[in-house]
Amino acid sequence: MIQLLREILPRLRFLLAPRPQPELDDELSFHIAQSTDRNLAVGMSPAEAHRQALIELGGIQRTREQCHQQRPGWWLATVAQDIRYALRGFRRNPVFTLAVIATLCVGIGATTAVFSVVDRILFRPLPYAHPDRLVSFGLSQPLQRQEFTLGGFFYEWRDNQQPFESVTFEQGTNECNLTEANPAHLQCARIAQNFLPTLGIPPQLGRNFTPEEDEANGPKVALISDGLWLSRYNRDPRILNQFIPIDDHPVRIVGVLPASFEMPRLQPADIVRPAQVDVAAQHNANAGIGVPMWAFARLKPGVSVAQAHAEMQPLFLHTQQWIPAQFRQEFHFQVRSIRDRQMQEAYTAAWVLLGAVFVVLLIACANVASLFSARGASRQRELAVRSALGASRLRLIRQTLTEVALLAVAGAVLGCVLAQILLRVFIAIAPTGVPFLADAKLDFRIVLFTVALTVICAALVGMFPALEKPRSSALAARQTRSSTHARLRRVLVAVQIGLSVVLLSGAALLLKSFLGLENQRLGMQTAEVITVHIPVTDERYPTGTAYLDFYQHAEAALRRLPGVTAVGMSDSLPPDGNAWHHAMRYADFFVDGKPAASPTTGGSVVWRLATPDYFRALQIPILQGRGFTEQDRSTGGDLIVLSKLLADRLFPNENAIGQHIQFGNYNPYFVLDGPVFTVVGVAGNVRNQGLADQVNPEFYELWSNHHPESWNSRCTFLLQTSLGPSVIAPWVRSQIAQLDPTAPVEINTMAQTVTRLADRPRFETALLAFFALCGLLMAVIGLYGVISFVATQRTQEIGIRMALGATRLNILRLIAAEGVRLILLGGVLGLAAALASAQLLKSLLFNVAPHDPLTYAAVTLLLAMVALAATLIPARAAMKVEPVVALRYE
Amino acid sequence: MPPATDLLQGTLDLLILQTLAPGPMHGWGVAQRIQQISNEVLQIGQGSLYPALHRLEYKGWISADWGISDNNRKARFYSLTETGRSQLETELATWDRLSEAIALVLGRQPEAAS
Repeated sequence: MIQLLREILPRLRFLLAPRPQPELDDELSFHIAQSTDRNLAVGMSPAEAHRQALIELGGIQRTREQCHQQRPGWWLATVAQDIRYALRGFRRNPVFTLAVIATLCVGIGATTAVFSVVDRILFRPLPYAHPDRLVSFGLSQPLQRQEFTLGGFFYEWRDNQQPFESVTFEQGTNECNLTEANPAHLQCARIAQNFLPTLGIPPQLGRNFTPEEDEANGPKVALISDGLWLSRYNRDPRILNQFIPIDDHPVRIVGVLPASFEMPRLQPADIVRPAQVDVAAQHNANAGIGVPMWAFARLKPGVSVAQAHAEMQPLFLHTQQWIPAQFRQEFHFQVRSIRDRQMQEAYTAAWVLLGAVFVVLLIACANVASLFSARGASRQRELAVRSALGASRLRLIRQTLTEVALLAVAGAVLGCVLAQILLRVFIAIAPTGVPFLADAKLDFRIVLFTVALTVICAALVGMFPALEKPRSSALAARQTRSSTHARLRRVLVAVQIGLSVVLLSGAALLLKSFLGLENQRLGMQTAEVITVHIPVTDERYPTGTAYLDFYQHAEAALRRLPGVTAVGMSDSLPPDGNAWHHAMRYADFFVDGKPAASPTTGGSVVWRLATPDYFRALQIPILQGRGFTEQDRSTGGDLIVLSKLLADRLFPNENAIGQHIQFGNYNPYFVLDGPVFTVVGVAGNVRNQGLADQVNPEFYELWSNHHPESWNSRCTFLLQTSLGPSVIAPWVRSQIAQLDPTAPVEINTMAQTVTRLADRPRFETALLAFFALCGLLMAVIGLYGVISFVATQRTQEIGIRMALGATRLNILRLIAAEGVRLILLGGVLGLAAALASAQLLKSLLFNVAPHDPLTYAAVTLLLAMVALAATLIPARAAMKVEPVVALRYE
Repeated sequence: MPPATDLLQGTLDLLILQTLAPGPMHGWGVAQRIQQISNEVLQIGQGSLYPALHRLEYKGWISADWGISDNNRKARFYSLTETGRSQLETELATWDRLSEAIALVLGRQPEAAS
């Protein structure tokens, strides 16, 4: 240690107090005097003695420099010198500097922000232990492609499976109410006893359920979420073993879930309770197939998802017998990782964005490279001069690297700021459906990666001129010219143009698709419709009659509100396509007096319960026959209204009105014992599969008073009113509170609900359009830079041409031709690449073909115009040059 | 651990340290002494003498002071520091090992084990 100090201290001393130059000079002159004395003693003349002494020393200046280089701080001092020199160069050349910094800023900022978002979606760590070994498995069929399972199947699989270490399930979430003072509307999940251990989620307080607590009719216990613990109980640990009233039943809290807890299907859950499934009853309940559930499992170490699927297949085939024969073929067994299940549609969008990020990064690199290359070419003379004055090759390279590093630091800092802003913007405009976006953060690994990539590009290209042996001709030549660099720059610019064509066409396709989505006809009027949902529970309203009674009173109360012109009721709302329990198979329609459709006939039909005012509130036209009437609700009769699509399919060239229809039941074997429905009318088609998908056939069943069992908490009111929601909402709340003060009320406008469905495409389109603009901007900067550089380089040539009689138009053509060639080359390459990659976008597009000719034409036109402008500005400048000035130019 | 130096530079450093071991001396004297002792075989390129002296000074192995030379000139006298002295011992040991090893490889007996 002392040794080390002893070594470092003198160096530090010299670093802080540099040795004065005269000291060295004195020392050297002493040396020369001594040598001269000796030479005189040998008998030389005084002049010769001094000359020999100087020769012996080998040059005072050289020695002086070498001594200077021994100084510990010498290296740092040269770096400082390089930096000063670089800064001076930047000030002399502000366009170059700003272009590079802007390119780096946009490139680094945009890619970092988007990658940070995509990273959270694609690669975020799941909050489970060893999530790579967790899978979701079950049945899938055309109406429900996300795998699910049923009690009857699950226990059979669980008891005979091989590939899994443990198998568990959850039963989904239900709405539930915390019925104490200041009631709260919560989400309650039902999980198996081994659910938390299988997924590897330790409670942060308390314990998991015991097996006894999971038995049918076991004690009422629950774990609560961290969010609920905080908002309701202020993280008080005394909550353990307390009883809280959930739907009017006391439930004991045995634990608190960790803050990171989430259900594997991402449903919100405030409270989890044991499923308490009666295993023995699963082969009798629900027509012998058991209650619905969602199964998850942990793979044994070393078992892959595909292996697990193969090993489970025989079990599935064995259990297939319980599926009614009619749709046995429709069911498949599915195993996939939890991550795959969560990401479904987000995958394509995320990969497209990632691709766009990559392209923008490429453009940024190409741009920085071509800017540095242009600068390098124009500096050849300067380098030759420096080299002639004694700068070593290493020194010249270091100078270039210093410049690159300075620009990179500036670009990276600004890029981080831009990325942070962009991330905020993304989060603000993102739809709620994109999982985990809200807690996306800047990923500094990505910042480092993008900075490193662009710096390497710049450094490689920037070092070319320094690496070449400086030619003496460069010193002498009046004009510097380097054909290889010029070719490299042209290739880079063409590549940039090509890449921005790819980005632009992708963005244009998405934009067109999105506009189509926004403006399409829904088949109904959503403008002045407010929806009111009152999720009361079975505990308070134990029978259908109780529900019916409550909702009828609510309907009457809402009708009395001023400004409300119609109050319809339904159990579901278009155009949402997620309500799969409202789907039926076309093959299950049995029309009186007609042969049954073949069981394999495909297609599903949407089914909705509706009151007479439903059609009035949404202004769905009745095309044939009549809608329901208020009398129909109480006088009986099972009435339905068909959509135009369904009527045309069931009764082609026939009158649908007055026809009788029955629906097949599977109990578990096919019976035809349901009520006979009479068709009273045909209504216009309404979008019912989300915004993007096609319209399915649909029918409306009268929600009548003599089927009280059909009434439940799914009832939603549709209020047609010209008053805004802010006016009507408090009135609605007070009316409902008079009927039931504990009933929660959710009020939305129909227009909002519909717009929300377009959130995701809006987000994707906005992001891709942003990228396309970034790419185009950078490509244009690159093109402008190259053309203006070429024009400056050829100033003298222009002067000669003009002196020899070339018109200004000739000159314009000469310079612009260069740009046009690049635009054509890049454009053609880009179009080819865009057409080839458009297939990737297919699943994101709605009503637009991936090879939509109009879009490509528009993109090409836009690019050509912008690029031509970037060419013409420097070309015009070249045209305006005075011949005399041009001839004298350097 | 002494910093690794290549053979040539290390050798010059060693020669300088060894020359300064008896007592302080100015740069010209160091060059003359080395030349003299080596029977004019080792001609120190004077261009490399002063950088070497400065380097050793920066390393703290030698220190410099202004003084008056024999013929009444102002001169810079270098002397070995404490660190320099132990460094000299290390370098001598290294040199011995190295020269012995080279001699063995070349198949010659070391003529004189100084």
